[in-house]
Amino acid sequence: MNRHSFFVCESLQRVMQNASPALACTLLLCGLLMSATGCGKTPAASFRPNMVEAAKQRLTPDQEAQVATILEAMFGTPDDPVALPETGLDVSKLRLAAGPVHSDIVGRKNGLFREHCSHCHGVTGDGMGPTAAFLNPYPRDYRPGWFKFKSTERADKPTHADLVTILNNGINGTSMPSFALLGEAKVDALVEYVKYLSMRGEAELSLMRYYFELDDEDEGKLPETREFLVEEILLPVAERWQEAEDAIIDVPEMPEVDLQESIALGKELFYGNKANCVKCHGVTGLGDGQANDYDDWNKVVKQWSDEVLSAHDASTSEMSREEKAEHRAWLARSDKALAGDALDPRTIQPRNLRQAIYRGGRRPLDLYYRIHAGINGAPMPAAAGTLTPDEIWHIVNYVRSLPYEYDGELGADRSMVARDRL
Amino acid sequence: MRNRLAGLFWSLVFLAVPVLGVAVFAVAPSIDVWLPKDVSAHGKDIDSLFYFILALTGIVFIATEMLLFWFVWKYDEAARGDQKATYIQGSHTLEVIWTIIPAVLLLFLAIYQMNAWADMKMRRPVMKPTVEVVARQFEWRLRYPGPDGDLGTPDDLFLVNDLHVPVDEDILVQLKSMDVLHSFFLPNLRVKQDAVPGMKIPVWFKASEVGQYDLVCAELCGWGHYKMKGRITIESREDFDAWLEAKYREQEATQAEPLQEDL
Ligand SMILES: [Cu+2]
Repeated sequence: MNRHSFFVCESLQRVMQNASPALACTLLLCGLLMSATGCGKTPAASFRPNMVEAAKQRLTPDQEAQVATILEAMFGTPDDPVALPETGLDVSKLRLAAGPVHSDIVGRKNGLFREHCSHCHGVTGDGMGPTAAFLNPYPRDYRPGWFKFKSTERADKPTHADLVTILNNGINGTSMPSFALLGEAKVDALVEYVKYLSMRGEAELSLMRYYFELDDEDEGKLPETREFLVEEILLPVAERWQEAEDAIIDVPEMPEVDLQESIALGKELFYGNKANCVKCHGVTGLGDGQANDYDDWNKVVKQWSDEVLSAHDASTSEMSREEKAEHRAWLARSDKALAGDALDPRTIQPRNLRQAIYRGGRRPLDLYYRIHAGINGAPMPAAAGTLTPDEIWHIVNYVRSLPYEYDGELGADRSMVARDRL
Repeated sequence: MRNRLAGLFWSLVFLAVPVLGVAVFAVAPSIDVWLPKDVSAHGKDIDSLFYFILALTGIVFIATEMLLFWFVWKYDEAARGDQKATYIQGSHTLEVIWTIIPAVLLLFLAIYQMNAWADMKMRRPVMKPTVEVVARQFEWRLRYPGPDGDLGTPDDLFLVNDLHVPVDEDILVQLKSMDVLHSFFLPNLRVKQDAVPGMKIPVWFKASEVGQYDLVCAELCGWGHYKMKGRITIESREDFDAWLEAKYREQEATQAEPLQEDL
């Protein structure tokens, strides 16, 4: 059964549950017809292996299989998630979010992730669901464990509350909508599941990279002891998620100066060498300072595809026959991974600061976090080392004034410029 | 004899159409698949137009369906034996009658509804927008003008999906779309208006009762159309102002803890 008819069956079952009896009879008839033509049992969903990383690390098929086996033991499957106590994840929440969309025995909706998230973020959380390629920016790939909008330092994980905020508010300026009306419990379950997918993705990466560190006597196989898997693979990831909860950036009060004065100071910093915001955000603040950089997710794919491309061009005359065969096989596999398991890399645009659209939230507090810690995964650097908190607040005030910057030339009646550009 | 049964069967099938059709409408209100509760000032006009047109088309529907039944029944070949059909050239009088009657009815409807249409789409209240609604795949982005009453100033309040309006006051919505066609639909307020990219469309209504109701998208706008759902809360002026202020304070937060109420 293909994906399409699977989707039709799912929706049909859902409609059936809510429809009135008369409607249900009609639909039942259609349903019977459809099951006769191939609508039957839902196939079990599976996580998709990180093929780009596997090709990059030159894993053998046996090694790929070993990674899959270990991951299934540690994290289960999309229909049946497992969370070891060390992850600190709540399995009951995961169950609400995991699996196919269905109502359980008390009529509670399950399978929230596949209902609301997976068409963009993918069942695996790799940001490659069926709709992903159409979106700009691409949906987030959770697997490297990088998150942009949070109240913690740049390299830290976000807190649970940070992710809840993102789900509630959506990310204006991207395709991520608000899920606030789902209610607290469902949003909470979804956030737990995002953390689960992210931990799983990071564990997968570290497993795949671990083969590189093996000794000869290991014979290319990772040890499968609980001690190794938990201590070496799981804990380093899980602990960083747990630590984030207490690592919220300390925000000093906004200095008590006149707002206009603060804006003027912020402007000076914006254009000055110390903060140098102008380098990327442009002299006009329109985000046109530079246009050919990549975010880290796209950079991974970009660098890898460049490498594969130059390997295609490299001379093979020095190689023995076996080496050549192996090289060709590796190239074929890398091409396949790039075509099927990665999205075409795209450049990232610095934010246009005159639109009054702030992806990570518009509160002064949010902007403070963005400038203080930078944006993980994006070229935006942390200013914490270079700027004092007061200076950061001045820039916050200046940036918040940009969409409404006064331009005397326009006359008293139209005091604001660049404001209605949605 | 077999043929006579076939004729009977088909005439009954055609008879079932008006019978079931009327039955569905008769039962619908009691199983709650009828018009949603009306909480708007102008909703009565819309609803009475709806009922009037329903009655009119209902009568025509029943009459034509009964005629169809009667013809299938009466002129069944098996029942009429060898009797040949009569050939006629057509009836000029009959054709004039069945053209003029619907034409008059349609013209009457067109004139009769004009006032309701003008109230909804042309007689805009003279005021600044209460709120700007920007539809986008797949959510409703809202912007309130803040205390100065002007959109596009630093005191604007930005929200998503959670529309609030005061009761018993004229509300003017400035409707925009960020991407594709959407439709701003408030079923309980009898308001439906397409949002068109590149246009600022004014929409107005007056709510007559406090409560929480659906705000949905009524124009297929992409795969997530079905979940492009918001909520409208109709509340007293005091509650509305308090809500605006609380939300604005949230938006202007400079510290992670919610600010203490200055009471
Ligand atoms: Cu829509």
